Order: sequence, then structure tokens, then C-alpha cells
Amino acid sequence: MLSRVIAPLLFLVFAWFVVSNNDARTIIAGVAIFLIGMHYMENGFKLFSGGALETVLERFTGTTPRAIFTGFLSTSVVQSSSLVSVIIISFLSAELIGLTQAVGVVFGSNIGTTTTAWLVSAFGLKIKISAYALPMLIFGVVMQFSKHVSYKGIGSVLIGLGFIFLGISYMKEGFETLKEGLDLAEYAMGGYAGVAVYILLGAVATVIIQSSSATMAIIITALATGQIDYINALSLAIGANIGTTVTAAIGSLASNQNGKRLAVAHLIFNLVTALFAVGFIYQLKDLVEWLAPYLAIPAGDDTMRLALFHTIFNVIGVLLVVPFLKQLVNFLETLFRDDEKARGRAKYLTPEVMEIPATALAALRKETIHLYDKSVEAIVHAMNLHRTEIFSDAEIDEVIERSTSPIKINVDEVYQSELKSLYGEIIEYASMSQTYMDQQGNNEIFELKQAARKIIEMVKDVRELQKNLNFYSKSHNSFIIEQYDKLRAELVEVLRIIQELRENDFDEEDVLTRVEVEKVNAKEREIAQNYEVDALIREHKIDSHSASSLINDITFAQSISKKLLTCAETLWVRDEEMKELGDEYGYE
Amino acid sequence: MGTNELIDKLEDYFDLSKKKQRKKHDKLVKIIHKLEKKKSRLEHKALREKEIDATSSRYHDVERELRVISKLISKAEKKDLDA
Repeated sequence: MLSRVIAPLLFLVFAWFVVSNNDARTIIAGVAIFLIGMHYMENGFKLFSGGALETVLERFTGTTPRAIFTGFLSTSVVQSSSLVSVIIISFLSAELIGLTQAVGVVFGSNIGTTTTAWLVSAFGLKIKISAYALPMLIFGVVMQFSKHVSYKGIGSVLIGLGFIFLGISYMKEGFETLKEGLDLAEYAMGGYAGVAVYILLGAVATVIIQSSSATMAIIITALATGQIDYINALSLAIGANIGTTVTAAIGSLASNQNGKRLAVAHLIFNLVTALFAVGFIYQLKDLVEWLAPYLAIPAGDDTMRLALFHTIFNVIGVLLVVPFLKQLVNFLETLFRDDEKARGRAKYLTPEVMEIPATALAALRKETIHLYDKSVEAIVHAMNLHRTEIFSDAEIDEVIERSTSPIKINVDEVYQSELKSLYGEIIEYASMSQTYMDQQGNNEIFELKQAARKIIEMVKDVRELQKNLNFYSKSHNSFIIEQYDKLRAELVEVLRIIQELRENDFDEEDVLTRVEVEKVNAKEREIAQNYEVDALIREHKIDSHSASSLINDITFAQSISKKLLTCAETLWVRDEEMKELGDEYGYE
Repeated sequence: MGTNELIDKLEDYFDLSKKKQRKKHDKLVKIIHKLEKKKSRLEHKALREKEIDATSSRYHDVERELRVISKLISKAEKKDLDA
């Protein structure tokens, strides 16, 4: 009903309003241009930051105050709390930061959004910013022709700023001419009734426009041209804060558990802040009056007072909620529990960060490691080994001796129910995010896809090996049992080396050398074992049927070792130049 | 400035291929230096092991690692030349 009748009807009314009202058209066009600017800015920062924003958000969120400050600073610079939120959700999903830090960043980000009000009131209305907008647009478009992603990003940021300035200029012009025919200030409402009405208006406007920054720009330009009353403008600002929460909550419905947790944290924060601001609106107004001279805000400059009010009530919101952060985090974790049953699902691939190359790559790498760990679990169980034994201090021979009884595992079933879907998600995500990558990013994605394919091939190899291993483990021929134990020992050796490389912070050249040496060792072991099998056949210690099975299985086991080592190089040697020195192709 | 010169300059500015090449060269030189350092440490170790017992598995392990490193160095040098 809504989409079929009401929505087109509302659109027609809106279209009529835009066409018939010249002043409203200018204001709405200003909002539209402003929103296009925000969109360009956000996309530009995604390209231009080249991982810098992600690095800052990952490294400088160790404590709650640092997380809040980092959230504030990053949002102030990129002027987009949604971009910061998206990155934070992806970090949370990738377990790069904890929920407490993530919530801290979101709180700080809320304070960061208030800088828009300062920029618009301090620069947007005092100087003729439309004069700066046009050169910015020109240079921004020129930079779009660059082949280099960073220059394209800077170009997008310039275009974004140009449009934002132009949008503010249009809004200001619209409100100024509107005043000549219609004075909205006549509809100003006093008292708490006025506060409630204008909060509702601010919230609805933000939900419709989907941007609290744009709403703040409208409020400030309307206030500057005297179209709205100061106290009503304060109420509108509170409403914009509530409205943005609704937008985030709607957006989080399709998000993962982490996205939902952060959206609820955001909602609680904004509701507490709004309730406080409403309750103490007149006291806060007095506080602004008292503080204004200390901040060199000229008397009568209501727009800068509004910006100060916006900042103060968000800072107070943080001060009110932070003491209860631990309780809030516990509540959020209870409210949205992790789905333990989702074994075959991707843990780190969040669609929201697909367009941010560095973060998408980090997520893909993590997910490939996740696939590696799950596959290694299946492989070692298929070889009747336990990971606790493998990664213990025991000698390899002891580990093999202790693990003789077959472990009940259906590799096919594990592949179908857990690994295949995970592999599929990695490939799909990799292919989709490739469109946003430069050449180097595409190369890295290609390598990760290759690694994921090799991991799956290892599982298929072990499926073949498992049948014979379990069959011959019951054999009375000690020679054949010994040969299969050698294959298992080989796997333990390779896995131990890889684990050591993962756990210790070795230099990249040490990791590469260890892997390359192990490749040579594996090759030599393969040759030696083939000689041994030849000797066993000649000495009639094993029959031809067992020999053929064994020779095939040596090939499967060697194939697994080679793939494990090649994957280790892809996943744990980060330097591209260093990685390229690996002997993959010659080795295979 | 002629048109061709201008186009060359613009290409250099936007494509940044020379900058990339220089970066790659610097990186490879750094890698070669690190590997050379590791090689020299291993050579000393190999000498010591050889003096103790030239037939020991420890000596052979060090020798094998040395061979791998030498191969990595020559690959890095070749890549640097190609670049």
C-alpha cells in the first residue's frame, strides 16, 4: 500500500511543491547539492586514505579515552560518522578491536559530527564560500583523470567540498529570498511545547534526508537568515541527533551482530543525550551564553552559539554514558549473542567495507586464515591426529605413536556443510571487492583467491588419503604402517613450522627462508620415501596393490605439504616483493 | 615547453611509473641487504659446524639453508635488474 499508492502520491506533492515554489526549490537544491558533496567526500576518503584511516582507528583505540578521541578526530577530519562506523564495524568483526573500544569510537564520532556545525557557522556563512566551491570542483574533476587512486581520492574530496560549499550557499540564498515573502520566524513556538515540536521536526527531517550534517546545515543557514528562533534551532539540533540514530538503527537491521550492537549503543547514547538536553535546555542555553565570550564568539552570533550548544550536549552525553560503558557492553553482548551454529559462515567479510580497499583486503586475509584453520582441523583429524598433540612439545615420533586410533570424521560432509560455503563466500567477496582495488590490491586478491583454492584442494587430497590410511592402519604389515606414519609425521613437521611462524614475530625474510627451506626438505623427503617404497617392493615386503596405494598417497601427502607451505607464504609474508621471491612455480 | 614534453610530464605525474620503479628498487635493495646479512651469519655458523663435524645433520641443515638464501638473493638481484 505504502510503496504503491502513498509513496508516489507523496512524491507528486513534493514535485509540485518544488516546481511551484521558487525559494523552496533553491533551498531543497542546496540540500541536494550538499548531500552529493557528502557522498563525494565519503567516497574520496575511502580511496584517498589508502588505509591511513584504518591504521589510525586500529592503533589508537587502546583505552576508552583514546578511542573516544580517535573517534572524534577521525570524524572531524573525514566529516562522515557513517564512514567511521562502517570501518569500526568491520574491525569489530575482524576482532581487531573490542566492543568497548568500538563503542568509545562511536561516542567520539558523535562529538566529531558537531564540527560540521562549527565549519558551517564559522566559515560557511561568514565568507563567500561559493567563490571557493568552483575552483575546488574544477581541480577535483581534473584530478579524477589521474590513474593513481590517491589522486582520484583527493579529487573526490575536493569535489565533495566544492558541492558542500555550493549547497550551503544555495541554502543561504534560498532562506534569504524566502524571508522576503514568508517569514518562518512567525511560526516560532516558545516553552516546552515548542521544544517538543521542533525536536520532532529535526528528527523527521534527518530521517528523510538521512544525514544529520545536512540537517544541521539547514538549521544553521535558517538561523543565520533569521528564519527560525534561536531556542527552536537548539531543539532542532537535538532532534537531528535523534533522527540520525533512527537512520543508523534502520541501517543496522541488515547488518551483522556487531553492527546491531553498535547501532543500539548509538541509540542509547543519543537518547540519553537528548533526554538530558531536553530536560536542561534552558540551563544549557545559559551555559553557552556564559562560555561564548571565552571562546571569542561575538555577541549576537547565534549560529556559532548553536554549534557550541551542539558540541556541549554531545560532550555531556559522553560524560554521562562512559561511566556505565562496562554495563552497556555487557548488555549489548547479551542482547545480540554470537551465533555459534554458524560454522560454515564467514566471520570477517562485512559487505559495508567492500569499497574500502585496505579494510576489504584485511578482512579477506582474515577470512582465508579462518578457512585455513578450519581446513587444517579437518585434515589433521582425517590423518588421525589431534591439534593439541601436534602443537605440543612432544617429539614427532611420540605424537604419531600416541595417535593411532581412527578419528571419526567424514571429510566430505565437513567440506559440504562448512568449507564449501565459506570458500564460496570468500570467492564472491574477493570478486566483488576487486572492482574497487588498484593493480596492487588486485594482485593481493588474486593471491588470496589462489590460497583459498589451494586450501580446498588440500581437503580434497586428504579425502583420498584418509580411506587408505584407515584401511592400512589395521594392517598386520608393519612396513606399510610405518610408511603411512611417515606421511603423518611429515604433516606434523610442516604444521609445526607454520605454527611457529604464526606465533612468533619473525622478520619477513626469516619467515620466507624457513618456508623455502621446508619446501626443499619436503621435496627431499618425497624422493627418499619413494626410494624406500621401491626397496620394499623389490624386497617383497609390500605387495603391488599396497605399493600403488602408497605411491598415490605419498603424492597426496606431498601435495598437501606443498600447498600448506605456499599458503603460509601468502598468508604470513606480507611484503609483496619478498613474497614474489618464493619459489612457488619452480617448486610445483 | 613542447606538447610532447608536456604530455610526458603529465604522464609522469599521473602514472607515477618512475616513482613506483624507484620504490620497488629501494625495497629490493633492502631485501637483498637483509638476506646478505642473514647469509653471512649462516656462513659463519656453517664454518663452525663443519669444524665440529662435517657429516653432521646440523651442518647439512645450515648448508641447505645457505643454498636457499643464495637462491633468494640471486632471484632478488635478477628482479632488481629486470625492474
